[in-house]
Amino acid sequence: MSAQLTLQAPLVLPPAEVGPYLESLWRTELKTSAGATTFTLVIYEASWLQQQLIRTGRLDGPITGLLDSDLIEAAKEAVPSCGLPLSTAVMDQRLSWALGQHPGHHQADDQRGQFVDSAISIHKPRRLITLAPTLVQDRALETLVAAYCPLIEEGQAGQACGDVVVLRGGRGSLQQGLPLVDSLVSSELPCWVWWNSSLDEAPELLEALAPPSRRLVVDTSLGAPRRCIDLLVQRIQSGQAVNDLNWMRLRTWRESLAMVFDPPARRDALDHVVQLDVDVEGDHPLKGLLLGAWIADRLGWHLVSSYLVDGDGVGYGVAAEFERTDGTTVQFRLMPVPVGVPKTHPGAIVGLRLICQPPDRAPLCVILCSESGGCMRLEAGGMASMELAEDVVPVPVESEEMELARLLGGGHDTTNPLMASAAVLAARLLPA
Amino acid sequence: MSSVLTNPLRVGLRQERVVPPQCLVIFGASGDLTHRKLIPALFELFRQRRLPSEFAVLGCARRPWSDDDFRARMAEALAAEVAEHPTAWEQFAAGLFYEPVDLQEPPTVVRLGKRLEQIDRQRATRGNRTFYLSVSPAFYGSGCRALAAAGLLADPARSRVVIEKPFGTDYASAQALNKVVQACAQESQIFRIDHYLGKETVQNILVLRFANTIFEPIWNRNYISNVQITAAETVGVEERAGYYESSGALRDMVQNHLTQILALTTMEPPGRFDPESMRNEKAKVLQAARLANEAEPWKCCVRGQYSGGGSKARPIAGYRQEPGVNPQSTTETYVATKLFINNWRWQGVPFYLRTGKRLPKRLSEVVLTFREAPVHLFDAAGGAPTPNQLILRIQPDEGANIRFEVKAPGSGMRSRPVDMAFSYDDSFGEPSDEGYVRLLADAMLGDPTLYTRSDEVEAAWRLYTPLLELIEDAPEQLPIQPYEARTWGPAAADNLLADDGLVWRRP
Repeated sequence: MSAQLTLQAPLVLPPAEVGPYLESLWRTELKTSAGATTFTLVIYEASWLQQQLIRTGRLDGPITGLLDSDLIEAAKEAVPSCGLPLSTAVMDQRLSWALGQHPGHHQADDQRGQFVDSAISIHKPRRLITLAPTLVQDRALETLVAAYCPLIEEGQAGQACGDVVVLRGGRGSLQQGLPLVDSLVSSELPCWVWWNSSLDEAPELLEALAPPSRRLVVDTSLGAPRRCIDLLVQRIQSGQAVNDLNWMRLRTWRESLAMVFDPPARRDALDHVVQLDVDVEGDHPLKGLLLGAWIADRLGWHLVSSYLVDGDGVGYGVAAEFERTDGTTVQFRLMPVPVGVPKTHPGAIVGLRLICQPPDRAPLCVILCSESGGCMRLEAGGMASMELAEDVVPVPVESEEMELARLLGGGHDTTNPLMASAAVLAARLLPA
Repeated sequence: MSSVLTNPLRVGLRQERVVPPQCLVIFGASGDLTHRKLIPALFELFRQRRLPSEFAVLGCARRPWSDDDFRARMAEALAAEVAEHPTAWEQFAAGLFYEPVDLQEPPTVVRLGKRLEQIDRQRATRGNRTFYLSVSPAFYGSGCRALAAAGLLADPARSRVVIEKPFGTDYASAQALNKVVQACAQESQIFRIDHYLGKETVQNILVLRFANTIFEPIWNRNYISNVQITAAETVGVEERAGYYESSGALRDMVQNHLTQILALTTMEPPGRFDPESMRNEKAKVLQAARLANEAEPWKCCVRGQYSGGGSKARPIAGYRQEPGVNPQSTTETYVATKLFINNWRWQGVPFYLRTGKRLPKRLSEVVLTFREAPVHLFDAAGGAPTPNQLILRIQPDEGANIRFEVKAPGSGMRSRPVDMAFSYDDSFGEPSDEGYVRLLADAMLGDPTLYTRSDEVEAAWRLYTPLLELIEDAPEQLPIQPYEARTWGPAAADNLLADDGLVWRRP
């Protein structure tokens, strides 16, 4: 879906005038439109990669915060010139860090927060507040304000407008703008906070933006795995409603594996799993661990031990032993594998193999492979005597905004209990 | 569908939409539908975590019940579910309220508005309301008027009204009722329910047709010779004699359920899957549908009524012997009719619809029979090759079969038909939700895709107007044909197809 621009050119205002201006806006220009009684969405939109690509002249502006195809293409081209392995994912923060070491002074219009993606605007957010940190660390705080009204599709009822507020500046000045954010978040409507950046950065800002009363959306593929999973678990255990886009991107893998066992004739094989292997791209194991943890949790396995194993030149893998409910041991192994064409986010799943040994029947070997890559390692050897169930898992092509819109539209006002259980187990699976 | 061991990996994967905060107001809360269908469906939604915490149900009827009375009666009606999930019920029941309301008495409706404001504050339901009219059809129009007069339908973004079937009793009354309700609310606020559209397998007709490329090229007059749509029941009139006597099978089943299945089977592909695109296509195809012989409708329709049957040990009463039924009743319990659809896709393809009570099996299905091969090269085990058939089984044993000819084993080249079968049970093994679960959730989400629009309802009534007029004006031309209970209807229904060289599929 294309992004919709705001109804009017955003107005630059001093922070102190933002609140009064919005009140007057609703009293005058928007008086004929119903204000949406939906939710407030606060987005921390760092877009470091886009900013660095533009600064170094590898991408034309404007800065939008959208992860579009031009940006992905430019980032892929930048990977070798930054001396990074070809299998580096576009969103791997090492890429934007490496670009930061390159010279360049190209500038572009900064339009972050001034777009309302159609996928999001269809849910009629009452207020969108974007925090847009700039590369220039000491840049003073700028605040911009505009109203927007979603384009009405044929047959849709009623127009409900909202407004957008952008806080732009160096990280320090954004911190100073936090009281303004708090004053703009209505206590009468739910508030979502989307931390659209690495979880390694600005912990104080994240802490201040996302108190327990707000619904938090993070992406645990962005940041150091230990920090990401610990933060997720800590938020879950505090009772905060939290969602993880990295978990959401596992949807097609979970669906594909569940489909294999939908036919009732196959179900009892799930009680007899002896081995689970997951291959992931590069050295970010969290997505693979979440997948393994979800399976283990659903099948009631008990974690006995986990440890690091040599990743055959691509970092480290994780091996673990589980115990099934009948006491039998299940071997789990997550291995990093090099790939020629990496996905956008670090740690994408390459393949999964599940081996079941039901008594009095031939063993069942389930192999799921990503559609964009092979999984020869998992298909290698020893399966001639097994019933083989192979499938190809489609790679979702949805944007971040579409994923977020799925959350907003689904009314996920609590933490997904499956994710909560999987995250807690994944944190234990990841060796210290 | 049968229930089997749950797939533990399937749990939580359905990606169901969650209903936004709101209050569902049920008029006719003391009636059967509320405790048999609506509250169980809502409790199911609650257990599936598809209702937000900011949710309430306000039961309304004339009886002077209290909130606690209502909760107790619902708990009694759902005793088995409550016993199985006591904690969930406790949480759910906390959101159940009751208000004595008579829609014909304006002061009580005004009081209802105040009660809703109070519930808004208590349950944070934010002024969003869905009004469900589970009342006598005679009160649909006046009910809407009363709600509108009290200002309860004023905000189209926050209020909607669900109307049960039957929507009118003929074309004129449906038109009149549409005028009344459209004067009270915008069309986008009006949800006319047909619970057949809530069935998973009915919705699967759309997926089968429009998510696969193999069917669409042959889904037309060039390849399909005829279509049969059957909805057979084994039960008799049961407790519904009062309603059924004035309705009959044509109004009770054909005009709505079977016609909706017809529309889904024959509509053009919509440009996108949204309510208006879908309903535009359904309305268009229904507007193109005609009785096979409008000038002499008695030639394309058979009406029947079950007579006694069964065995000596277990006799079955005839319709006229059922409690509450007029002993001289001429109400039909069976209808078979033949239609055509006058458009490029379906011109000349006969559609045979039949429904009846006290038939040998309970089933609903759509059978698409394809044209014969132009040349018969092989001997067929059955004398002649069986035409290919695609059978969509709506209930029970939900699924689909494709019947085609294969070489029979042996040295000769004889062909015989075989079935390639898809079964929901074998593939998914999970019971699907009751239709009301889906439809209630959709209404509260403001999604009318599976609800019928005013022009669809009117087109469906207009389609059968020649028959309804004939029954009214000259019933002797379309006499009631008796059929023995637990048989496949009167012999005249077989003749309807025999005239075209066809037979009903015996399921």
